[in-house]
Amino acid sequence: MLGGVPLHRDEIPPGTLYLLILRTLARGGEMHGYEIADSIQRISEDVLQVEEGSLYPALQRMLIKGWVKAKWGVTAGNRRARYYQLTTLGRKQLAVEVSQFERVMRAIARVVQTA
Amino acid sequence: MTFFSELGRRLLMLVRRHQFDRELEEEMRLHQELREQEHLGAGMSAEEAHYTARRHFGNATLTQERSRDMWGWSWLENAMQDVRYGLRQLRRSPGFTAVAVLTLALGIGANTAIFTLIDAVMLRSLPVANPGQLYRLGDNNNCCVMIGTQKGGSFVLYSYPLYEHLRDDTTDFSEVAAFQPFLSDLSVRRSGVASAAEPYKGEFVSGNYFTMFGVGAIAGRALSSSDDKSGAPPAAVMSYHTWQTHFGGDPSVIGATFTINTVPYTVVGVTPPGFYGDTLRSDPPDFWLPLAADPDRWLFSAEPEWLYLIGRLRPGVAPERVQAQLTGELQQWLGSRPEVIPERDRGDIAKQHIHLTPAPSGVDQMQTDYAAALRLLVTIAALVLLIACANIANLLLARGAADRSASALRLALGAPRARLIRQKLTETILLAVAGGAAGLYVAYAGTRTILLLAFRGAHYIPISPKPSLPVLGFAFFLALVTGVVFGAAPAWIGSRADPADALRGAGRSTGDRTSVVQKPLIILQVAFSIVLLIGAGLVTQSLRNLEYQHFGFVTEGRLIVNIAPSLAGYTPDKLDGLYQRLEEALPRIPRVLSASLSWYSPLGGNNANEGVYIHGKPPDYRWTAPSWDRVGPHYFETIGTRLLRGRAIEERDTPTAQRIAVINETFARRFFPKEDPIGQHLGMGDASHSGDYEIVGIVEDAKYQDTRGPAYATFFLPLLQTPPGEPLRGWVGAIELYVAGKPEDLEPFVRKTVAGIDPNLTILRVQSFAEQVNLNFNQDRLIARLTELFGLLALILACVGLYGVTAYAVERRTNEIGIRMALGAGRRNVLGLVLGSALTQLGLGLAIGIPAALAGGRLLAGQLYGVKTYDPMILGLAASILAGCAVLAASVPARRATKVDPMVALRQE
Repeated sequence: MLGGVPLHRDEIPPGTLYLLILRTLARGGEMHGYEIADSIQRISEDVLQVEEGSLYPALQRMLIKGWVKAKWGVTAGNRRARYYQLTTLGRKQLAVEVSQFERVMRAIARVVQTA
Repeated sequence: MTFFSELGRRLLMLVRRHQFDRELEEEMRLHQELREQEHLGAGMSAEEAHYTARRHFGNATLTQERSRDMWGWSWLENAMQDVRYGLRQLRRSPGFTAVAVLTLALGIGANTAIFTLIDAVMLRSLPVANPGQLYRLGDNNNCCVMIGTQKGGSFVLYSYPLYEHLRDDTTDFSEVAAFQPFLSDLSVRRSGVASAAEPYKGEFVSGNYFTMFGVGAIAGRALSSSDDKSGAPPAAVMSYHTWQTHFGGDPSVIGATFTINTVPYTVVGVTPPGFYGDTLRSDPPDFWLPLAADPDRWLFSAEPEWLYLIGRLRPGVAPERVQAQLTGELQQWLGSRPEVIPERDRGDIAKQHIHLTPAPSGVDQMQTDYAAALRLLVTIAALVLLIACANIANLLLARGAADRSASALRLALGAPRARLIRQKLTETILLAVAGGAAGLYVAYAGTRTILLLAFRGAHYIPISPKPSLPVLGFAFFLALVTGVVFGAAPAWIGSRADPADALRGAGRSTGDRTSVVQKPLIILQVAFSIVLLIGAGLVTQSLRNLEYQHFGFVTEGRLIVNIAPSLAGYTPDKLDGLYQRLEEALPRIPRVLSASLSWYSPLGGNNANEGVYIHGKPPDYRWTAPSWDRVGPHYFETIGTRLLRGRAIEERDTPTAQRIAVINETFARRFFPKEDPIGQHLGMGDASHSGDYEIVGIVEDAKYQDTRGPAYATFFLPLLQTPPGEPLRGWVGAIELYVAGKPEDLEPFVRKTVAGIDPNLTILRVQSFAEQVNLNFNQDRLIARLTELFGLLALILACVGLYGVTAYAVERRTNEIGIRMALGAGRRNVLGLVLGSALTQLGLGLAIGIPAALAGGRLLAGQLYGVKTYDPMILGLAASILAGCAVLAASVPARRATKVDPMVALRQE
C-alpha cells in the first residue's frame, strides 16, 4: 500500500454506477460529489471506489435524464458545493435498476452455483 | 413528455455553456481538495496529500470534456471551433483567399447564371392558378394560319367555329380558351389626348381567357365571355408593365377610351404584375383584346385555322380519355365540312388527331427555341467550373504542403487524423461558400448580359435576372458540393503528414505526393481549355460566316421603316394614294439616294408563300410554294439586289398597266430549267389564273427568311397592282431607304416626313438594315460571345494553374536545383528541367483535349455555318494560343529557378 491508496482496485461492474449513485442519494438525501463517492466507498468497505473520471460524467448524464436535480449550497466547512438530490423520476429509475440488477444477479448466481 | 423536458435541458445547457464549465470546474476542485484533506487527516504530509489527491483525480481536463460530452453538443462545438480556426487561417493568407474566392465566384457564378435562365425558361410555370391543370390541344408550335389537314395530322391550329364546337361539347374542361399564336401590331391613341398614335403589341383572345387561367385584374376587371360577343362594346385589358412604364400607373387609365387600330376600346382593367400571357416571349402583349371586337377576324369562316387552344382540365379527369374524345369530335367535324377538307384530302381525315399535352408553362416557344443553346451553355459552364475547381484543388494542395510541419505537430500532440481532415475540409467549405456568395453577383451580372445578348432588339423581357429562391439554393448547394469534392483529396493528403517531420524539418525528402495529384489536374485543365477554345473558335467563325455571307442584298447605308397603314384605318382604295405620296416625299429627304416601298423587307421576320401555276405547264406539286412579295419602283436598287436580266418593277407598273412579275434565279431554275423565263406567264389561286402575270425580269437570289439555307424561289409583284379583293391583313408596309452616311441619323427626318403625309400613320419601327439582319443572329451571337468569354476564362485559369504548379515545384526543388548547379549544371539545364515538366503536362493535355474537342465538335455540327468541326486553322490557332500562354506562364517561375544561388539553395531548409 502506498500512502493509503490501494494499488489494486475492483472495477465497478459496467452499468451499475448509476444504480449505486441513485441508491446512495436515496439514502442520503442531498449530497455533493465527494460525499457520494465517499459514501459508496465506506458502505462497500473500500471494495468499490468510484473514479472521479466516471462519477462526474455519470452525474451529468443523470442531470440530463432528469433523475437528479442539483443545487448550489454550502458545506460544513463553509465551501460552495453542488448538492444533488433524487427526483421522482429518479426514484422510479432506481426501482427499475434495482429489479434489473437483482434479476441479473440471481441468474449469475444460478449459473455459478449449478454444478 | 420526458423527451421534451430532456431536450429542453440540453438546449438550456447550450445557452449556459460558460457558466456550466465554470461550475463543473469548481465542483471538481472542491472534490479534489476534500480528498486532500482526507489524506492529510490520514497522516500524509501536505505535499504528499496534494499530489496523491491530484493523481487520484486523474486527467481533470479529460473528465471535464467527458462530462460536457454527455450533453451531446460536442459535434457543434467542434464544428464552430473548426469554422473559427478556418476563418483565422484564411485571413492570415489574404492573397490565397482572394484568388481562391475569385476563381470560385467566376465558376459558381457562371453556372448559377445559366441555371437562372434554365429556371425561368424551362422550369417555371405560368404565374396563374393551378398551372398543372392546363392542357394544350396540340403538340407543336406550327404557325400561323393553316387550311385543311395539318402537318403530320397533329392539329394545333383551329378555326373559330371548330373552337366553339370543341369548347361547347367537351364537359371535361372547365374552360377552353382560344388565342392567336402571334402578337398583332396595334396603333394606339388615347382619346382626348393630342399626341400621335403609338405602336404596341396586342393579342386577341377569347372572352374566357382570363377565367381559364384563373387570373383576375389588380385594377378594374379582366375580360369576360360577355365582352367576346359580336356587338358588345369593345373592351381591352392592359398589362401591368405597360401601365407602369408607358402610363405611369395612372389610375385614370381604367375606364378610359383608347382608339386601337381605329376602333374605340374601353380599357376595363390591368393584369397583375408578372402575368405575361400564354407564351414566354420578349415583348409580351401590352393589351389583350377580345376576338369578337376586331371586324377583320375570321370568326365565322371554318376554313382558316389560326387559333391555339388551351384548356383547364377538371380535377380527376384522365387526359387520355379526353384526348380520344377530342380526336373523335375533330374527325367527325372534318368529315362533315367539305369546305374545310377538299375531296382529294378526305382520306387523310382518319390521320388527323388532337394530342393533348400538359401545358403548365403555356406555349413552350422559347423552350423549344433555346433548348439546344441552353444545353450547350450548361456544358460550357460546367467545364469552366471544373477548371476553376482544379485550380482550387491545386492551390489547396500547395497550401497543405506548406502547412505540413504545422499538421505534423498537431498529429504529434494527439489530434486524430479525422479531426485534421475535417478541419481542412471546413476551411475549404468556407472558401466555397464565400465563393458562392460572391458568385451570386457574378450570376446577376451574367444573367443580365445573357438576356441582353439573347434578346437584342427587345424592349421588355419578362425574365428577372434577380436570383430566386431555387437559384439561391442551387448556388449554395453547388458551392457546398464543390467545397467537399475538391477539398477532400487535398485535406486527406495534407493530413498524411508524418509526425516525425515536425522534428526533422520538412524539405529534405524529394518524394512528394502532392505533385502526383497536381500534374493530372493541370493536364485535365489544359484539355478542358483547349476544348473550350476550339469551340469558341468554331462558333465565332460560324457567326462571322453568317454575318458576312452574300445575302443577295446590301445592308450598308440602308434604313428600314416599318409602317402599318391598315392599323390607321387605310382601306385598299386609299392605299394607292398613300403609296404615291410616300414615293414622292421620301426621295426628297436630304441624303436619301433612293427610296422604295414593299410589303415586307428581307429578314424582317415576315414571309408570304403561295403556290403558283405556270401558263402552259401542268401544275407542279413537287416543290414547296414559292415566296412572294409586293414591291414598289426602285426596290431592288434600294436594297442592293442585282438585276440580272430584263427590267425591275418601275413607275410604269400602275394599276391600269399590264400585270407583270419579276422572279429570282432559283425560281427561274426551278420552273424554267430549259427556256427563257422572260415573256412567260404565271398566276396564283388555280390553273385558270396562270396567265395573269408576265415575267419581265430576273434578279439575283436573296435570302428573305432563312439565313442558313439557300434562298427560296421568289417572285415579286408590283405594289400598286394589288387586286381589290386581296387581303391585306398582317402585311405591314416597309419603307426602304438607301442613304449616304449613317442611316440611323435620318430617323427624325423620316418621322417628320411620314407625319407630314399622315399624322395617324403609325411607324412601328425604324432601324438600319444591318441591325434588322443582325437580329436574326441573336442566338448565334449569344453562343459565340459566351463561348469566347468562357474560353478566355478557361485560358486564364489554366495558365494561372500552370504557373502555380510550376512555382510550387520550383520551390520544393530549390535544394535539388542548388545541388545540380553546384555540380555543374548550367542555366539552360535548369530551365530545361523545370520547363520540361510543364511542357509535358501541356503536351499531354493537348493530346487528350484535341481529340475530345473533335469528338464533341460533332454535337456542334448542326449549329455551325460554313465551318467544319475539324477546321485545321482554328484547331491550330487555338492550340498555339494555349501553348504560347502556357509556356509564358511556366517560364516565369522557370527563369526564377535559373537565378537561384547554389549556396543559398543548399542552405535552405
